[in-house]
Amino acid sequence: MSKQEIRIVTKIIRELSLFLMLHGYNTFQLNTYLEGKTRVFMLDVENMASDTLETMREKIGRKRELEVETYGWELLGDTDTKNELEIIGLLIDSLDITTKDHRTRLVLKRESKYLEK
Amino acid sequence: MKTLYALLKRRMMMPVIFIVLFAMAFMFDDLKTIYRGYLNILQSPSVLISDYLHIGGLGATLFNVATIMLINIIMLSVLKLKMTGPIFAGLLTIAGFSFFGKNIFNTIPIYIGIYLHARVQRLEFKSFIIVVLFSTGISPIVSFLIFGTGWPFYIGVPAGIAIGVLTGFVLPALGAHTIRFHKGYNLYNIGFAMGILSMLYAAMLQTLFRFDLFRFDSTISEAFHTELLILTILLSTIFIISGFINDRGVLKKYPKLMATTGRLVSDYIRDHGRDIAMVNVGVMGFISVLAILLLDIKISGAVMGGILTVMGFGAFGKHPRNSVPVMVGAALWYLYVFHVRGEASVGLAIAVLFVTAIAPIAGRFGILFGIFAGFVHIVLTPFTYAFQGGFDLYNNGFAAGFVAAILVPIFEFIRKDNGKEMSS
Repeated sequence: MSKQEIRIVTKIIRELSLFLMLHGYNTFQLNTYLEGKTRVFMLDVENMASDTLETMREKIGRKRELEVETYGWELLGDTDTKNELEIIGLLIDSLDITTKDHRTRLVLKRESKYLEK
Repeated sequence: MKTLYALLKRRMMMPVIFIVLFAMAFMFDDLKTIYRGYLNILQSPSVLISDYLHIGGLGATLFNVATIMLINIIMLSVLKLKMTGPIFAGLLTIAGFSFFGKNIFNTIPIYIGIYLHARVQRLEFKSFIIVVLFSTGISPIVSFLIFGTGWPFYIGVPAGIAIGVLTGFVLPALGAHTIRFHKGYNLYNIGFAMGILSMLYAAMLQTLFRFDLFRFDSTISEAFHTELLILTILLSTIFIISGFINDRGVLKKYPKLMATTGRLVSDYIRDHGRDIAMVNVGVMGFISVLAILLLDIKISGAVMGGILTVMGFGAFGKHPRNSVPVMVGAALWYLYVFHVRGEASVGLAIAVLFVTAIAPIAGRFGILFGIFAGFVHIVLTPFTYAFQGGFDLYNNGFAAGFVAAILVPIFEFIRKDNGKEMSS
């Protein structure tokens, strides 16, 4: 994985953590692993409020835009307000959400498009 | 008819703007006058503030604006890019600055540099489209080295092209880095990155070659105030009507758009839809008109550049709630200077419009903080201009980077918000 890709991936982890903590979620699990060229983020949260989940679905579920990624990725992990989660949606290829009992699982996938070094 | 409207809407009325500008060029001047004026524009050193209305006349300037827009519209089509907020803002910014500094000759080397950067990174050129569209703010360095140094062409032309390409090559990396300096509160981030490069170029040219960078004619032309005022009103009206054609209840979406801070990267076309984005673009145009009428500012090339840029960012971070407070802050200083000296420079006049670079500060911290930030911004702009030597046309973007970097941490400290109190 290229250094640039690693920097973006770690910023995504920070952004997700920051967003959840700003919303008062102090207990959650975030696992990440590689599936070929695709980075997978698996986020498990208990008792997630529907409006928080809706915000994540709306903002992260957007289509990836590489042209914005090259411009604004450095702002990732620098969330300033409670409802800001704009940039991460531009960096993620797909988002799947499942809820079982009180446990919500979000699976985010991102394919690396940067040159391997 | 519906198909045509759908096509125009998809391109955010850009073809209409191009046709209006192109037609107006030939309405005001004949072919010979346009040709002569256009040559003058191409051969101008183009450093800040080179008013093309004064250098080439209205017809040639509009022709310059239209041709640069056409090239960029074609480039976007070839790259199969859809019209997003940043792309729309980039196009109108290019159009605006083609009134005072950008021409076909001095912008191409910078594009080539960014293309080379993309090749080295092995990413598609279109991945860097936002930097591409805003990159040409530093194009005067190309014109200056060719036409402003007094060097023979066999030295000046290669030097100008080489520095232009080199600038384009480093700009994507620099722009991605500088955005952290102001945390996305300066909408003209590339302007800030280019200001830093300009500062370096200015220092080297002044120290190593003893050039006087501020000797060029910066006479502006206010002779076409009425024509350009009508053009602004016409364009703003087109945008607002276009927003209503498809959706009569489009204004219901406005409160949600205006609730955003506007901080980078806020794409109003993607997030809120084309209809309300077009209405917002038109409203921002009318706010600009109102500002210049209230302050009795006459429209020169530079002021027109400011108006079009404000309109363009109506799809990329600016709206009345976050823009008006910073404009009020800048206007207070403008009025004070005008009252004391009996006149105010065009630099101050355009700052009243370009101050909206820091609109996200008002969007995030509120009206009073916004007014204060606007005031600080307009006071700072003459100093940043002296620093960067006039090679960065986005001098207000350069100033806005410092304003945001200084004020945002202080405002955060004063507000002491912990996340729960934060608004959107």
